[in-house]
Amino acid sequence: MTAIHLIFPEIALCALALALMVADLFVAPKHGRLLYHLAWLASIVTLCLIGLSISDAARYQGLGSLWSVDPMSQFFKMLVLLTTVLSLLMGLEYKDLPPARAGIFVSLLMFASTGMMLLVSSVDLLLTFVSLELISISSFILTGFEKRNPKSSEGAIKYFLFGAFSSAVMAFGISLFYGATGTTKLLGLTQAQTGGPLFILGLLLVLLGFAFKASIAPMHFWVPDAYEGAPTPVTAYLSIAPKIATLAAMLRLFAILLPAKVFDLTTLFVLLSALTMTIGNFTAMFQRNVKRLLAYSSIAQAGYILIGLVSGTVVGMEGVLLYSFIYVAMNIGAFSVAQAVASQSSGADPYGLESFDGLSQRSFGLALAMTFFLLSLAGIPPLAGFMGKFYIFQAAVQSGHIGLAALGLVNSVVSVYYYMAIAYHMFFKPAATEEPLSIGPYLYGGLAVAVAGVIIFGIYPEPLIASVQTSAQYNLP
Amino acid sequence: MVEHAYLIPLLPFLVSLVILFFFDEDAHSPYAPYLGIATMFWCLVQSLVIFHQASSGAVHPWPYEGSWEWFSFAADSAGKGFSAAMPIGILIDGAAAVMLVVVTLVSLLVQVYSLGYMHGDPRFKRYYAYLSFFTASMLGLVVSNNLLVTFACWELVGVSSYLLIGFWFEKPAPAYASKKAFMTTKLGDCGLYVALLLIWAKFGSFKISMLAVSAATPGVLTPLAATAIGLGILCGAAGKSAQWPLFIWLPDAMEGPTPVSALIHAATMVAAGIYLVAKTYFIYAASPVAMEAVAWIGLITALLAATMALVAYDIKRVLAFSTVSQLGFMLCALGCGGYTAGLFHLTTHAFFKALLFLGAGSVIHSVHTNDMRQMGGLSKKMPVTFGTMFVATLAIAGIWPFAGYFSKDMILERVYGHNQVMFGLLTFAALLTAFYMFRMIFLTFVGDDRDHERHHHAHESPWVMLWPLCLLAFLSVVSGAALAHNGFFEHLVNYKLPEGLMTETLAPRLMPYAVTALVCGSIALSWFFYGRNDFTLAESLKARCSPIFSVLENRYGFDAIFLSLVAFSDRIAKFAFWFDSSVIDQFFVDGWGLITRICAELSGLFDNLFVDRTVDGFGGLSMDAGVLLRSLVTHGQVQEYLMYIAVAVSLFTILILSR
Repeated sequence: MTAIHLIFPEIALCALALALMVADLFVAPKHGRLLYHLAWLASIVTLCLIGLSISDAARYQGLGSLWSVDPMSQFFKMLVLLTTVLSLLMGLEYKDLPPARAGIFVSLLMFASTGMMLLVSSVDLLLTFVSLELISISSFILTGFEKRNPKSSEGAIKYFLFGAFSSAVMAFGISLFYGATGTTKLLGLTQAQTGGPLFILGLLLVLLGFAFKASIAPMHFWVPDAYEGAPTPVTAYLSIAPKIATLAAMLRLFAILLPAKVFDLTTLFVLLSALTMTIGNFTAMFQRNVKRLLAYSSIAQAGYILIGLVSGTVVGMEGVLLYSFIYVAMNIGAFSVAQAVASQSSGADPYGLESFDGLSQRSFGLALAMTFFLLSLAGIPPLAGFMGKFYIFQAAVQSGHIGLAALGLVNSVVSVYYYMAIAYHMFFKPAATEEPLSIGPYLYGGLAVAVAGVIIFGIYPEPLIASVQTSAQYNLP
Repeated sequence: MVEHAYLIPLLPFLVSLVILFFFDEDAHSPYAPYLGIATMFWCLVQSLVIFHQASSGAVHPWPYEGSWEWFSFAADSAGKGFSAAMPIGILIDGAAAVMLVVVTLVSLLVQVYSLGYMHGDPRFKRYYAYLSFFTASMLGLVVSNNLLVTFACWELVGVSSYLLIGFWFEKPAPAYASKKAFMTTKLGDCGLYVALLLIWAKFGSFKISMLAVSAATPGVLTPLAATAIGLGILCGAAGKSAQWPLFIWLPDAMEGPTPVSALIHAATMVAAGIYLVAKTYFIYAASPVAMEAVAWIGLITALLAATMALVAYDIKRVLAFSTVSQLGFMLCALGCGGYTAGLFHLTTHAFFKALLFLGAGSVIHSVHTNDMRQMGGLSKKMPVTFGTMFVATLAIAGIWPFAGYFSKDMILERVYGHNQVMFGLLTFAALLTAFYMFRMIFLTFVGDDRDHERHHHAHESPWVMLWPLCLLAFLSVVSGAALAHNGFFEHLVNYKLPEGLMTETLAPRLMPYAVTALVCGSIALSWFFYGRNDFTLAESLKARCSPIFSVLENRYGFDAIFLSLVAFSDRIAKFAFWFDSSVIDQFFVDGWGLITRICAELSGLFDNLFVDRTVDGFGGLSMDAGVLLRSLVTHGQVQEYLMYIAVAVSLFTILILSR
């Protein structure tokens, strides 16, 4: 085990998570909120550990036996931790979580984050697999955390069954890979080792394993059920962190470590991307439940990000990074608003579109913020989502995938329909109750961060683009 | 101290903002005035220190200039492009040092005086904010080393005079007067503006010290250009300093509060024009024509205003005309090459004119009327006011040893050397000055009380108003002698004229005595007409020369000329409005609107028939596609999902491996 100091932040986070789990035994249930605070503070500390080391090139540029620590991995680790912090803040305002299990809840969330941080650094399929499993198992439990809610259990079971299936597929793929190359290491593969049908089939199956976590069609079927059933903070977390971490791992594996010279998976990626976008968007149109709607929307968003992978150019990579960043802000924001609205809804389905009726009269600020997030998700200037889409479609056009870019545009147009359906309910439907909607301070803080991100990086994206460019440029092999 | 002279305009400016925005509008709040007064006191102290340093020769290099980068831009002059830097800064020469003291002193005294005069006014705080702003604008004009900044301050002076003349804007007369003052001075500013454009085109700089050097360099400034620039500046100065033919606003400006009149007449506004001409004297030095124009404009103004003052009955109007006349003296002196004489008279005049106005204010405060026919015999009721105003009258009439004697004498001497016809006319104006000023004194203070009611209620003003009068009276007595002593003032503000303009025809040694004798005669005549409680002589003269009197009372018809000009512009504006609304709006704009509408209808038709149908078609298509996709997954069972995945994986494998 060489260069273990490189993954010090992961170790720290993991240790803190274990400590919180132990602390759960000693903290009375009525003080459960304390553990949330400790957890998000711990995540912030880890975030700072990474953030502070970023400027110190000697400390982070390094290669362990299984992992590589480079600007790209640090970028995604920070995004994952940011999502963790914001999700924990949402959790503080989520009433349905039993306070008695707070320690378990937060430590599972932190374990999942640890898995993702390892995943984005991994340069060995074994570590990739193990970290994926760490994420998956934590996520299964988190999804079913609301034990009294049957939907939560249903989602967790479906998620688990799919997870088991895709793990099997991936493990099989890794075994084929090992059979073809004689190693699970992704570095230093020779020409002779790559290219055979065995190798390519192995890669395909590994890809499908990734596709499960990133909710890429056809491995997306679990998404709506799991997202709908999971507690909303978990949904927000699952819709962002595993997705971008997996996409980062895919970026490392398929675009950087194994550039498509001897084998060509580009066609497959085009197909996956097109399929994912289309299925996500066209199915979302019919959803009456906001969580399901956002679930399909997040499938579609994964399709957009995949376009950046297809192009295989530096611009495409930068696009993936840029879009991931913006995606964190707009998705966490949308789910936060959904949670706030549902928490004070009296309807049969708290997450139904009807709960949003007349939101602008009950809390204009919240309605406006939601509109910003939705417009950003739809990719309408001058919000940040537009910059992300612009970057990614530009990369596709530059690399000659004009058809895919066009399909992406068509899909964006379709997506406006269902995003604006929510806005329609918020602004044009009469409210069921005149009672003003109040939101808690932590949710408020998270929302403020998200709104600021969506607006500032839409109008003035230069600093973000600059940081994305530095993060995508210097990558260790 | 001199290097921090920029504080002198900046502090009152800041204070005016602070008072305006942060103080309560409370008629009895003492803080706003005290803040304004304290600031002005500090400015006065600083100005005095600068004055002392300047007069003792402690400042090196002299004149002192401090300049900072303001902005720079790409410019183009005579076909060659260059990067023009616009400096901002201060230029303290002798004239500026003197003006600083005069402006801050008069402003300070006026502010103290206003404590009594404006007591209980509902807009007390705003009044003080405006006063500080007015003074700050004038001080900025005085210290600036950049003509552009000077021009900006010049306009700010105009704005603040507008605000202060129209301070009681509820009454129609002040509102009208402030508008008139603003527009008339603006008319003059057009000329100044053209002059500035010419200066930029000619020199490519607004820095005064640089302009002075360039103008003195042979070949840079052609006489024609110098004349054009000089006349433009003169036009601006005529507006601001109320010279012929733009003097019509100053008598009306009497509608403002009397302390404001004092400020305008002594220090802040009308002095600006004279000061600007002095500041750009190098332009006039290069153009004898412009110089001559300055002299004649000054002379005409001095004479016309003096004659108009002869028949006025409003005490403030008399003083207003006298100011116009005295400003004419100064301009005439400048035009005759008497740089020192003009500025000297500006300085001494500031003291006694401020005193006269504040005294008049004290009288008005006491008897509640401006009409001298309703006064008379007030000397017993108001001894201090009478005494101080009498001193000021002696000073303005030019009696030795009061201040006016020295400055007026210097002017007359200079004019005599330049042109003896001018000298004669100007001396005549000086005699008129003595006559109408003593007429004012006699009518107001001497003789019987003509309005018993008013006389009975008359009382001496409170001391807060009186001690500024006393201080100014002291200055009116000593300032002339003190500043003229051993050529002190000449040494301080010295401006070296080029050789050609130094026409040294020395005045006869007896000239001052002769003039003083004539002035005494004029005073005696005035007493003869107005000082004896018997106005039959004056009345009969008025009856006999009634056409002349009515011409004078109508101010030679200049008001009528300008009013007809306004009416004419009004008619042009009406025609333009008619043209705009009937021809352009109805024909062009509405016609264009009609065409646009027709096009829009056509386009809308096309949209409805073709585009919308297509869009709807695509929408339906999307819905159908969605329904199709959804119909694939109906049961929500995991087995079904996994089947799809298995099929997809197989298809992908075939796709990849068959390549």
